[in-house]
Amino acid sequence: MIRAAAALCVLGAWELASRLRWLDPFLVPPPSRVASVLYELVGTGQVWPHFRATVWEAVAGLVVGTACGSALGLLSATVRPVAEVLEPVMAVLNAVPRVVLAPLFVIWFGIGTASKVALSFLLVMVVMFFATYTGVREVDPRLVERVRTLGGGRRDVVREVYVPSVSAWVVSGLKVAVGFAFTGAVVGEFVASSQGLGYLLSFAQSTYNASLTLALIGLVVAAILLLFWGFGRLERWWLRWRPTDPEPVRRAPKPAPAARPAEQAP
Amino acid sequence: MKALQVRGLAVRYGTHAVLQGVDLELGEGEFVGLVGPSGCGKSTLLRCVAGLVSPASGSVSVFGRPVRGPDPEVGILFQDDALLPWRTSRENVALPLRFRGVDRRDSREQDEAWLRRVGLLGAADRYPGQLSGGMRKRVALAQVLAARPKLLLMDEPFASVDAIVRHFLEADVLRLVQEEGISVLLVTHDLEEAIALSDRVAVMSAGPAARVVREFAVPFGRPRDLVGVRSQPAFGVLVEAVWDALRSEVSRMGWEVPA
Repeated sequence: MIRAAAALCVLGAWELASRLRWLDPFLVPPPSRVASVLYELVGTGQVWPHFRATVWEAVAGLVVGTACGSALGLLSATVRPVAEVLEPVMAVLNAVPRVVLAPLFVIWFGIGTASKVALSFLLVMVVMFFATYTGVREVDPRLVERVRTLGGGRRDVVREVYVPSVSAWVVSGLKVAVGFAFTGAVVGEFVASSQGLGYLLSFAQSTYNASLTLALIGLVVAAILLLFWGFGRLERWWLRWRPTDPEPVRRAPKPAPAARPAEQAP
Repeated sequence: MKALQVRGLAVRYGTHAVLQGVDLELGEGEFVGLVGPSGCGKSTLLRCVAGLVSPASGSVSVFGRPVRGPDPEVGILFQDDALLPWRTSRENVALPLRFRGVDRRDSREQDEAWLRRVGLLGAADRYPGQLSGGMRKRVALAQVLAARPKLLLMDEPFASVDAIVRHFLEADVLRLVQEEGISVLLVTHDLEEAIALSDRVAVMSAGPAARVVREFAVPFGRPRDLVGVRSQPAFGVLVEAVWDALRSEVSRMGWEVPA
């Protein structure tokens, strides 16, 4: 309630400041103007092909990136030499802003969909690699021992300990990866493209159309928040066994380290 | 047949000899407490019997079978209640039966019977993270017993719970192993706990190269009253005798122990 009231206050002040020309309405158009542009975009259906293109690229990057990142993470965690080769590569990729590769991807994959999916894929893949890799390495050896002494075989250990333990990290990682998938798609479009929200943004910027820019930013943020909320729900349901009281289950996977790659600039 | 037979057991970590020449026997249905200076290798001995650590030399056999890995007739209860946090109490208790290929629906009755016996049927659908420490211990106990072990190994199982909960847990364990005719090897640093629960107390020497140096028979029958037994004169005498044996071991570690 307080947050909603505060947001309303800020919007009201902004509207007022812009209308009374304290702020230049050409540079900072009032929220009502942005809203009407947004309404027009959505109402006339102009935005949908672009919206669809961006979502498609982001989802493709997310799916393929998650699959590859998890597979590589799993492989690294189980085969020592693979980890020795891959881990430093991933660490470097994680440390540098990966979006600098966008122009290169345009040269390699053209200005079509492929270069955006590639960028989105790269951003997601690194996050999911670390989520899976860390997840496997953080498996509690006492739980493995427990299952073995209760008569469980190798398959039981994998099913009862590894899968739930690693999936907790993967689900936490997914929440971070969703934002990255959109970043990749939009930035890719921004660099060079013929459609998508990033393309519209680039167009709005080149024509100095602040209202359109703000409307598009609002749209991207709304899309990411929706997916973020969805994955948040999925995480809460998947990890419903986690205690809600302050006393933690010892060595239960913590979401914080899984989210660490997010702190780096994409 | 002996429930457990350890002969000339040696365990090394690298060049460091942890255990050397350990001999220990457990009769069927017998409850033996194992005490010793901290760090002497009590837990290593237990893990060796459980098939989790391989001996450098000597032999370990349970019910006449040499130990070569986890044995279905040996149950283990360690200090940390390593229940699967993503499984409910019921599912945790069901694990040993599921590992044996018993269908989830068929095992349901047995799982509930075990939860009832530790007084936790009402918490069947809660996750370990939603239970208190003492409750988790009881679920862990039900889980181990659901595997129907004939030998139960316990390593400081009650170390992390408060004195009152501990008393009830001890009583639960004693009652259940009596009912099931299970042999028990209990590692503890609490002399009085060892004497109150056991039929026999074995004292280990200080490490490195620790072994069993003394054994004391406990002159109380079972079932026994865990509170009443402590007030008997023979109890105090035994505590003092075991303390003396332990004291001389601790002083060998370089401690100045006032007599």
